[in-house]
Amino acid sequence: MKISTKQYAQALYELTLEKSESEVNIVVEKFVKELAKNNNVKLASKIIDKFQEIYNRENGIIEASVTSAEKLEKSQMEKIEKYLLDKYKAEKVILSNEIRKEIKGGIILRVGEDILDESIIKKVNNLKTFLME
Amino acid sequence: MMEVNEELHNNITIYKYNMNKNYIVEQLKKQIEGFQAETKLEKVGKVLEIGDGVARISGLSEAMASEMLEFSDGTIAVALNLEEDQVGAMILGDYKGIKEGDEVKSTGKILSIPVTEKMIGRVIDPLGNAIDGKEEIKSDKFYPIEKVAPGVIERKSVHQPVQTGIKAIDAMIPVGRGQRELIIGDRQTGKTAIAIDTIINQKGQDMICIYVAIGQKESKISRIVAELEKNGAMDHTIVIVAGASDPAAFSFISPYSGAAIGEYFMDQGKDVLVVYDDLSKHAWAYRQISLILKRPPGREAYPGDIFYLHSRLLERSAKRDEKFGGGSITALPIIETQAGDVSAYIPTNVISITDGQIYLEADLFYKGLRPALNVGLSVSRVGSSAQIKAMKKVAGKLRLDLAQFRELEAFAQFGSDLDEKTRSQIERGKRTIEILKQDQYAPMLVENQVSIIYALINGFLDDVAVEKISQWEEGFHKFMKSSKKEVLEKIVTQKELTEEIVKDLEEAIKEFKQTM
Repeated sequence: MKISTKQYAQALYELTLEKSESEVNIVVEKFVKELAKNNNVKLASKIIDKFQEIYNRENGIIEASVTSAEKLEKSQMEKIEKYLLDKYKAEKVILSNEIRKEIKGGIILRVGEDILDESIIKKVNNLKTFLME
Repeated sequence: MMEVNEELHNNITIYKYNMNKNYIVEQLKKQIEGFQAETKLEKVGKVLEIGDGVARISGLSEAMASEMLEFSDGTIAVALNLEEDQVGAMILGDYKGIKEGDEVKSTGKILSIPVTEKMIGRVIDPLGNAIDGKEEIKSDKFYPIEKVAPGVIERKSVHQPVQTGIKAIDAMIPVGRGQRELIIGDRQTGKTAIAIDTIINQKGQDMICIYVAIGQKESKISRIVAELEKNGAMDHTIVIVAGASDPAAFSFISPYSGAAIGEYFMDQGKDVLVVYDDLSKHAWAYRQISLILKRPPGREAYPGDIFYLHSRLLERSAKRDEKFGGGSITALPIIETQAGDVSAYIPTNVISITDGQIYLEADLFYKGLRPALNVGLSVSRVGSSAQIKAMKKVAGKLRLDLAQFRELEAFAQFGSDLDEKTRSQIERGKRTIEILKQDQYAPMLVENQVSIIYALINGFLDDVAVEKISQWEEGFHKFMKSSKKEVLEKIVTQKELTEEIVKDLEEAIKEFKQTM
C-alpha cells in the first residue's frame, strides 16, 4: 500500500508527541530509516511541510505574512497580530513582514490560503475597472 | 472696438473651457462616489502541476464544483475535480503562460456567460467573446452554463412545426418546436447541410437559430457563415465556435453555452433552434479532459458520466407552457457515425435520448439521392402533431406509396412480366423518390411542398417521364407562384386542404399540365 505524505506527517507527529529531546532523536532516526526502506526519501521536504502544518494546527499556532510597501512599525505589527489572534482564535501568531514597493501602500495579509488584499494598487485597479464599466 | 471684441471672445473660450473642465471633474466625482472599496477575504491556491489544458491546484479548500478560478495572469479555469487536498481544473484559454507555483484565486462564481440580443448575427466563442472582428459584445446579464432543465409542470407537448424546408423531412419526419431530433450519418453525407438548410428556412419564421460548431475545422465554419450571410440567414442566427485548434475545454463547454443563450431567448417567450454540430466531437473532448483528470475510463475509454453529459444537455430543449412564459428550444444534435455503425456507444446513447432521428446513408448519397435520407430508419417520435393539417393529409399517402415501392423495388427489374397494378406502384415510387430529391440551400415553403406532394400522390405525375420530373416540378412551382398565388395563400392561411382548396389546386395542376 502506498503511504501518503499526509499519513507520514501525521505518524511523525503522533510519535513525537510529548517526548523528550533524546527520545525524539531516536524516533526521527527510525522514521528516516523507514522512509529509506520504502523508497520515499524524496518525499522528505513535503513531509516536513505537512508536519509543520499539523504541528501548528494542533498547537493553535498560525503562520501569517504581511506584505507592505515600507517596513511596518512594531506597534502596527502588534495590532495585526492581535487582529489575527482574534480572527483565527489562535494561541500564537508567527508574523513575518515582507516588503514590496509595487503595492504602493496598504497591506496584504496572508494566512495559509486566505488572502486579505488591502493594498493601494489593488484598490486603484478596482477603481479602474469600475470606471471603465 | 476690435480689442473689446477679442477680449470678449477670449472670455467666452475660457468660460467654455472652464465649464467643460468643471463638467468632467463633476462627472468623475459622481462616478467615484458610487465606487465602494470593499475588501473581501479571498481564498488562494497554488498550481501543483499543469499540462494538456488541465491544472492541479493545491489549497482552494472552499471551491465549488464548476466554479470559475482565476490565475494570476487573468486566465480562467473551471473546477471539475474536488479532491481531498487538491482541485482539478480545466483551463479555458491559453495555458502557456501559467507556471507551477502560480497563485490561483477562487471567484465564488459558477461558470456563466454574458447573454444579450446583440449576439444575433455574430460569431462568438463559447465564453461569449466576439471572434468575427466586429465590435465587442457587452452585456450585464449572465446565464450559468449548466442549468437544470425545465420540469414536468413547466412543459407542454410539442404541437407547432419547425419547417425545415426539406420536403422529405417536413412530410415524413416532422420536427416540432421543442423537439430534439438527431441527425445521424457517416462523414460527408450531408448532415450539416440539413441543419444549415433548416436555419436558412427560418427566415421570417420568428425563430432564433444558434449554430454550435464543436471541434470543427475553421475553414468549414467560415464557409458556413459565408453561406448563411449569402442567404440572409445571419440576421436571426448566432454562431458559436469552438474550433479544432481551440482547447478541448472550449469544445466541452460550447454546447452548454449554446443552450444557455437559447434559454435566455426562451425566457423571453421566443422560439429558438439550436444545432449542435457535432456531439461525437463533444464526447471526444470530454473523454480527453476526463482521462487527463484521471477519472476512470469505461467503455471505449469514455468516462462513466458520458450519458449524463448528453442527456442533461438535450433535456434543456423544451416547449414551455404559456403559463410559464412560453417559448421553446428545439435541438438538432448531429452525430457522426463510423462506417454506418449506429450501434456504437455514443450514437446509441444519443438515439435513446432524442425524440427521433434523421438517418443519412452514404450509399444513397452516392446514388444521387440528396438529401440522402433513409426514410425507413428515420423516425420522429413526436409525429404528425407537429404538422399542419394540409401536410398531414398528403403525407400519409406519400409514406404509403414509398413503403409499397420499397417492397416491390426488387421486382422492378422484371419489367414487363409484372401485372398492371404492381407496375403502376413501381412507377409511382420512382417518381416519389424523384420528388423527394432537393438541392442544398434551396428550402421550400410548406404550401409549395403540399401542392407538389398533392400532385404526386393523386397521379398527376404518372404520365411525366421520370427524368423530366425535376424539370416539371420547377416549372410547376413557378407557375403556381406567378398565376395561382391565391391558392398557395389559402393553404397557408387555412392550413387545411378544404374541398374548395382541393378543387382549386386540381384545376391549377390541370391547367399547368396543358401548358407543358
